[in-house]
Amino acid sequence: MQRRAGTTTLAAPVRRVAPLALILLAACDGPQSALSPGGEDAIQLGWLFWVMLAGSVVLWLFINGLFFLVTRRHPHPMSRKLAEGTIVAGGIGLPLVVLTSLLAYGLSIMPHQREPGDGLRLRVTGEEWWWRVEYWPEGATEPVVSANEVRLPVGQRSDLELHAADVIHSFWLPGIAGKTDMIPGRVNHISMEPVEAGTFRGQCAEFCGLSHALMAFQAVTMEPADFDGWLAAEAEGISENARQAEGHAIFQEQGCGACHALRGTEARGEVGPDLTHVGGRGTLAAGVLPMTAEALADWIAHPEAFKPGVEMPGYNHMDEAELLTLATWLEGLK
Amino acid sequence: MSDEHPAGGEEEFREEEASLVRITLGPVVWMAHFIVSYAATAVVCAKLSTDELVWLRMGIAAATLLALGTIAWLGRRSWRQWRHGNEDIWEDPAATSEDRHQFLGHAALLLAVISFIGVIYTALPALFAATCR
Ligand code: HEC
Ligand SMILES: [Cu+2]
Repeated sequence: MQRRAGTTTLAAPVRRVAPLALILLAACDGPQSALSPGGEDAIQLGWLFWVMLAGSVVLWLFINGLFFLVTRRHPHPMSRKLAEGTIVAGGIGLPLVVLTSLLAYGLSIMPHQREPGDGLRLRVTGEEWWWRVEYWPEGATEPVVSANEVRLPVGQRSDLELHAADVIHSFWLPGIAGKTDMIPGRVNHISMEPVEAGTFRGQCAEFCGLSHALMAFQAVTMEPADFDGWLAAEAEGISENARQAEGHAIFQEQGCGACHALRGTEARGEVGPDLTHVGGRGTLAAGVLPMTAEALADWIAHPEAFKPGVEMPGYNHMDEAELLTLATWLEGLK
Repeated sequence: MSDEHPAGGEEEFREEEASLVRITLGPVVWMAHFIVSYAATAVVCAKLSTDELVWLRMGIAAATLLALGTIAWLGRRSWRQWRHGNEDIWEDPAATSEDRHQFLGHAALLLAVISFIGVIYTALPALFAATCR
């Protein structure tokens, strides 16, 4: 009887904790996790995490084992010599060895995170609250301009030049590599080498104002041939068909081109994201909405509802049908 | 009275003043090494080219050796000051001039040890990073 009572009291907390542990473990996976790496640097950082975790567990067991030993198993006075030896060896010697090796290990892998790339250069600028993205392939004299999405070729190291237009932001793409701040007036570098094709999520990681938490992006890693094809298409302006469409007329009529560029048209605004291939992005408004015509219509009518403080005016005066025509047309700009 | 310094108050005062200066010397060397290393790196990376990094790193190595040598010498001196005439006594609790003198040596030694470690940690990045990036 007694034994049974013992097992149930032990099992109850386990039963309660197990689902929680499962939930927490499930959070380790996914597109924005440093623990499911898809890039050289993320693999290295993930490994660093596991090494440190294992080390902490060993240390924890060791220290608590010692506690157990001296309080329960062997609760007798120690000789002064042994006690002082323990303090000096365990309190000064051991931390010194552990911290020095960790520091040396960390420093030894750090240069790798900023290694020069193989040719492709990206220039990413953090703005309140979106990302200006320019691709500079090797030898390019002008960039391919895009926004709010980062595409990278697999198996090559690409250089990312990080800028900030207004306040400090931080470019964080944990599935591929580490995190680097974007500081106004400074150019910071990080380089990335994806190892598999896939979709990842990045996030601004430095508080930058009202909609900081809503400043995210999607990153797509592609096989080099696919990437080259995509970049060539991205470099094109909008098609002749799109130019003739009714959506374009509404776009011009509403004056969107004062802030947004549409390559191949008169719209050359640089206040907001380049919209030439906006429909080809996986998400809308820097990771906040899905890229659908409905979401686009909602966004254009009430951007403030999705991003407090946003620097785009709402167009809720437009009539429903016109708005949807414009939104559908934008969604079609792939 | 055990509190009396053999050579009188004035002499003792001068000696302990020197001890107090020595106490700060370890951290001062650490600080100087830190400032020189960081300032030199910032200037070389901002104003000169990556080719000069070899010289910078050699310079930091030299500064590090110099700093470590100074701190080691200081540590040895402080050890002597602390241990002078004590065979098995590790504490200096009495309010006597001898205990005060040895306590200052003890403190200087501990500060020298931590400064020694600090200087090594400051220099480690230069050992591993051969780039300004
Ligand atoms: C005053 C300048 C301004 C005007 C005018 C303006 N926008 Fe914007 N727009 C912005 C800014 C700034 C952003 C980025 C907002 C953010 O994500 O923080 C933006 C974002 C967008 C986005 C999301 C882009 C992406 O990459 O997901 C779309 C789509 C868009 N605007 C469409 C329009 C349309 C259509 C009009 C005209 C009806 C318009 N905008 C008028 C400034 C403007
Ligand atoms: Cu932010």
